[in-house]
Amino acid sequence: MSRLEEIIALIQHIPPFPKVAIQVMERLKDPDVRAAQLAEVIQYDLSITANVIKMCNAAYFGLPRKVSSLDDALVVLGNETLKDIIIAGSSAGFYKGEIGAGYMLEQGELWKHSVAVAIMARLLVRHIKDVDPDSAFTVGLLHDIGKRFLSSFVADDFARIVEKVDREKCSFVTAEKNYLGINHADLGAMILEKWQFSPEQVEAVRRHHDSDALERDELTALVALSNGLVISMGIGVGVGGLATELHGKGLKRFAIGSMELQLCMADLVMEMEGAGEIFDL
Amino acid sequence: MGKTIIGISDMKVSRDPEELLITFSLGSCIGIVIWDPLAKVGGLLHYMLPQAKLDEEKARKKPYMFANTGIPLLFKEAYRLGAKKNHLQVKAFGGSQLLDSSNIFNIGQRNYQIMRRMFEKNNIKIAAEDIGGNVNRTVSLEIGTGRTVLKVSGRGEVEV
Repeated sequence: MSRLEEIIALIQHIPPFPKVAIQVMERLKDPDVRAAQLAEVIQYDLSITANVIKMCNAAYFGLPRKVSSLDDALVVLGNETLKDIIIAGSSAGFYKGEIGAGYMLEQGELWKHSVAVAIMARLLVRHIKDVDPDSAFTVGLLHDIGKRFLSSFVADDFARIVEKVDREKCSFVTAEKNYLGINHADLGAMILEKWQFSPEQVEAVRRHHDSDALERDELTALVALSNGLVISMGIGVGVGGLATELHGKGLKRFAIGSMELQLCMADLVMEMEGAGEIFDL
Repeated sequence: MGKTIIGISDMKVSRDPEELLITFSLGSCIGIVIWDPLAKVGGLLHYMLPQAKLDEEKARKKPYMFANTGIPLLFKEAYRLGAKKNHLQVKAFGGSQLLDSSNIFNIGQRNYQIMRRMFEKNNIKIAAEDIGGNVNRTVSLEIGTGRTVLKVSGRGEVEV
């Protein structure tokens, strides 16, 4: 079996996205869905419920008493906040343990990067309109899921990949694909497909490192930009560093210039302070 | 040795010879290390953006986010601990960029340029620097010895 076949065969063994989480995503397709309707769904999954309740009890929210049930959480937290927490609580399980070592990511760094990209994606909705904020947040959280499963293969070819990036000044994903036959964006898209995410969401994950991503559909542009800015800020980037190609000329159609980019970066620093405790970063 | 982590938009000065200041993951941000070998006082700043005028309110809350508010404070705080301007060794790291032919994502370059202008105006020489490219850098300073170590993710570490 070739290495590429070996990598693709892996997908069959990837655990399903939690059923409850899929139902959450389903309901999120309705932009007016209430957190209460999501809570109805997740209450049957104990580990997601426990995750959500733990996040709600972060000191950041300054709740006068501990939340012990989803109904309590609904009363004290806003709809948007609780939605983010439910989405994150559904995905967190995939980011546990030492999963990014091949990318020189310490434990927890891939999760931190993913949360940062999700939050940045939500911030960018103010410039890239026509994107549903919940979808932006969700894809932000999952855009790098391919890394989790490609990490050990990157580790095997680590020296050659790094050498190619340094010698040719190419992007990390180009070198990744050159030696492994697939990059983490393609693999991530296959995983989201298996998990039955929408075609737009699959596409956004597949193209999040494409150099022309900003000229593509809104969700793809938004996720690629969000990822680019978080990488630029150095949050959870590891060995790939800033070696990612993103052509900025596509920003014009969203009327985004350097000032808008900088303001989003500044806002993310502020948001990450509270997020650290909520999302267990 | 006590280790103090300096996050994005943060700064620390110290005269505790047992303290290590470290900042992880400088992308387009810049990390400035200063150290006075006589006073044994050192500091590390991790700023993210060039100009505080971008958002004055954030600059008040987080002066270390910006070069033009963070850099003066770094030096002032070191002087307060007994460092002298003409003794200080100054080193700078970071300012990487994404691969972008349109150069809109040139925040690393802007971060570097403003620092150079500020240093030139104030007659501050840079003893060592490692700037630009597409890598991700981690920098640490031992307050007792001034030992400064630069680590580039996936490429090993060197004393600078």
